[in-house]
Amino acid sequence: MANPLVATKLYIPSPRPNLVVRRRLHERLSTAADAKLVLVSAPAGFGKTTLVTGWLGALADDGAAVAWLSLDDRDNDPGLFWLYVLASLQVAVPGLGAAARTLLESANAPTEDVLTTLVNELHNAKQDVAVVLDDLHVIESKDVHDGLAYLLENLPKRARLVITSRSDPPLPLARLRARGELVEIRAADLRFNAEEAAEYLNGAMALELTAADIATLETRTEGWIAALQLAALSLQGREEAATFIAGFAGDDRFIVDYLAGEVLQRQPESVRRFLLQTSVLGRMRGSLCDTVTGATGGKAALESLDRQNLFVIPLDDRREWYRYHHLFADVLRARLLDEDPDAPVELHRRASIWYADNGEPSEAIRHALAAGDFARAAALAELAMPAMRRGRQDATIREWAQLFPADIVRIRPVLAVGLVGGFMAAGEFERVEAQLHEAEKWLALTPEDRDAAGMIVVDDAQLRALPGAIEMYRAGLALLRGDSAATVTHARRVLAIAPDDDELGRASAHALLGLAAWSEGDLDSAFSEYTRSIAGMRHIGHIADILGESIAMADIRVAQGRLRDAQRRYEQGLQLVADHGAGPLRGTADMHVGLAEILRERDDREGAAEHLRRAQRLELFGTRQYPYRSRAVLAGLRLAEGDVAGCLALLEEAERVYDTDFSPAVRPVGARRARTHVLMGDIHEARAWVRERGLSTDDELRYVTEFEHITLVIILINDQPRERELRQVSALLDRLLAAADAGSRGSSVIEILAVQALAFDARGETASALDALRRATALAEPEGYVRVFTFLGSRLQELREGLATGVARPRSQQAGLVDPLSERELDVLRLLRSELGGPEIARELTVSLHTVRSHTKSIYTKLGVNSRREAVRRADELGF
Amino acid sequence: MSAHHIGSYVAIVQYEIRITGHLNPRWAAWFDGLSLTRAEDGTTVIRGQIVDQAALHGVLKKLRDIGVPLISVTQLRSEGE
Repeated sequence: MANPLVATKLYIPSPRPNLVVRRRLHERLSTAADAKLVLVSAPAGFGKTTLVTGWLGALADDGAAVAWLSLDDRDNDPGLFWLYVLASLQVAVPGLGAAARTLLESANAPTEDVLTTLVNELHNAKQDVAVVLDDLHVIESKDVHDGLAYLLENLPKRARLVITSRSDPPLPLARLRARGELVEIRAADLRFNAEEAAEYLNGAMALELTAADIATLETRTEGWIAALQLAALSLQGREEAATFIAGFAGDDRFIVDYLAGEVLQRQPESVRRFLLQTSVLGRMRGSLCDTVTGATGGKAALESLDRQNLFVIPLDDRREWYRYHHLFADVLRARLLDEDPDAPVELHRRASIWYADNGEPSEAIRHALAAGDFARAAALAELAMPAMRRGRQDATIREWAQLFPADIVRIRPVLAVGLVGGFMAAGEFERVEAQLHEAEKWLALTPEDRDAAGMIVVDDAQLRALPGAIEMYRAGLALLRGDSAATVTHARRVLAIAPDDDELGRASAHALLGLAAWSEGDLDSAFSEYTRSIAGMRHIGHIADILGESIAMADIRVAQGRLRDAQRRYEQGLQLVADHGAGPLRGTADMHVGLAEILRERDDREGAAEHLRRAQRLELFGTRQYPYRSRAVLAGLRLAEGDVAGCLALLEEAERVYDTDFSPAVRPVGARRARTHVLMGDIHEARAWVRERGLSTDDELRYVTEFEHITLVIILINDQPRERELRQVSALLDRLLAAADAGSRGSSVIEILAVQALAFDARGETASALDALRRATALAEPEGYVRVFTFLGSRLQELREGLATGVARPRSQQAGLVDPLSERELDVLRLLRSELGGPEIARELTVSLHTVRSHTKSIYTKLGVNSRREAVRRADELGF
Repeated sequence: MSAHHIGSYVAIVQYEIRITGHLNPRWAAWFDGLSLTRAEDGTTVIRGQIVDQAALHGVLKKLRDIGVPLISVTQLRSEGE
């Protein structure tokens, strides 16, 4: 892995022995039992970290586990940030966060899924857990902040976040404050008061200062702890303490600068040089310091600084790794830059060499970039790229992409294509195209010409895989553009040229081909491509992809009219999640929605409702399709219960959240709504939809509009068609049937045949109607279809009964209704005959007044009346 | 990165940042060559061309990181206008 975790970041700094115990602050913190967030927010040098480490003892005494993470600016990569958070949890409580980490590392899962899983794990934790994020101010990434806000919002009762930061993080602090879920410690709280200053200066540092001197120091430093520490170091061993104190008390100089200067001046020259030279390092250990200073004795130097309390902080128990206190490091770096502006370049270059030799490429790259040695950084980055991609460190790749100058990238095609992943993730597609184009130009050259033009490649294996990688990015771009043909072309090329061991590339290509075939309505090919893709994904353990593709395959089975197989696949998907053991995964909710839809079609309302309830409990684990699909299925259930108004309201919601997440939009919500309007007898609304979609019986047919064209036919048949219209309808139905047959789209075939039966019936061709219906039934019955028929109205029911009994009454001059009243509407109608007013009817039926009004409106429409009295009369005429 | 890397097509703006305390002029290099002037009233004025908002925030972050109390940030004028 390109970025082995740096264990020192998870190390809880041990409290200093000569510490001033912050009793008043610990008391504040210990009242924070209900707080989700403890925020210690103050400038550098205010003792934030020290306060938290001092308080942790008390927390641990209460049985809480503490996860610690010291942040640095690399953690702006969300993948890396959360990896460290999870690793810190595992250090605190073995096994905690393991499922989320598996998901993050192996499954290519989005951050939100990882966090949802983490929340679940925290929820099941057996003890209180505190996660400390030290120095959160280094995080600027909005993605990380969003993730933290999400985690805070969903944090279980027994978990809390403890944050130290130099600036308030962009989290919903006001809301937490209002709910009493936030405990804040700020600069004013952290400043040493006179008592604490005395305890520190005379107690811990044994300086024997007078009360007046202490008061002067406290006033001049305003209780700023770093300044008091520097003052104490400056005063150690000094004869004339009072004179020194008086000297800087009457002075306007920036106090830390002034005192750090004093402290530095009092060091031997060798120590002074060591401090300045090693200040370029974020972390230090003996051998690293030796490489950077070009001297020996780094380890001893660090230990000596540690003993003297000279602003080094040990980062582990063995005292191998250290860092400078951040404030002091800045002072040192500024001095180094002032004294020898060219020095940092060479120091960073040496640090880069050490890190490359010691297996930390990302640190090596960082220091090479800081040294301005782009060629070196580029070579290191190129070699690290495959591991970076596997580790999903898109943000780091993106950062590199911005840091490398164009002329460095231009002559390095492998690096250039590697950086493309960063641009893809950032949505900068024009740059993606440009980079791919440049790389291709290099590939077209002969090896001699490449050399002559100065091409640089350090990783030949990646160069060999480059054509395949380029095609894969092209296929991805084409998919985003909605260009199905180009997606197929590029994905096929990936399969033709990608090396056998590029399993992710090949499996992804098969998935793209499956998606393209699905969008074109070629369901058999789509199914077999997905089958191959899943086999590959299984091999490399990308469970998130496996689940997503399992949903697609089950959806395809539904479209093929193979409900039983689809049902089995959704169930297998749920089993896969259960076996994975990481708790629910993204897509789990969708599997339940898929099952609910199948049960709804079979008119198993109870079973469907149960799966919807389960889906709802897991809605955090829904894909982007989930919001609309769950609503659409529920709408179908409402309709089956006769609640037309409820159905429409849900469909309207579904339309607002419509997102098929790249799956073909084959059953658009608008068409479902139009069909419901037909059922209500509201042909006017349905017609409006037809106009809006610009549909006609002469349209060229495509799979993505198939459902809409069937809807068009249903509307036309129900709108008192004349002979000419019926001919047009029949012609369209013939074409629809031929297309659906050719694509093995069983679900569509069943529906088209049923509608065809209605069309024949309307033209008086009862025998043909029964033939069509017989064929539909033969396909539908073994799979358990029910609603597809009942949805088409009462006349179809009559025909089906006719089919069953062998006696079909010819179509009467329907005195009755195009569409029958639902059970619920009949209930309302019954009460309309009474003396009850609207509100009483609502109470009687335990529904809202709004629902009663909707039903009433629907009844009026179906009966073709405008008032309650007319409705009652018309119902009598019809013999209800 | 200093101003000359950016080129003349960017409107480069002068800023004046006032902080509490006298900051030693040796910090000029740390602040990418901005000038540091100590004022009579015990404050320091950091002045110079700052190419854009990101760079300005970079300077403010550096000030935050060394714990210098910030008093004001003022935009002076656009260059070449």
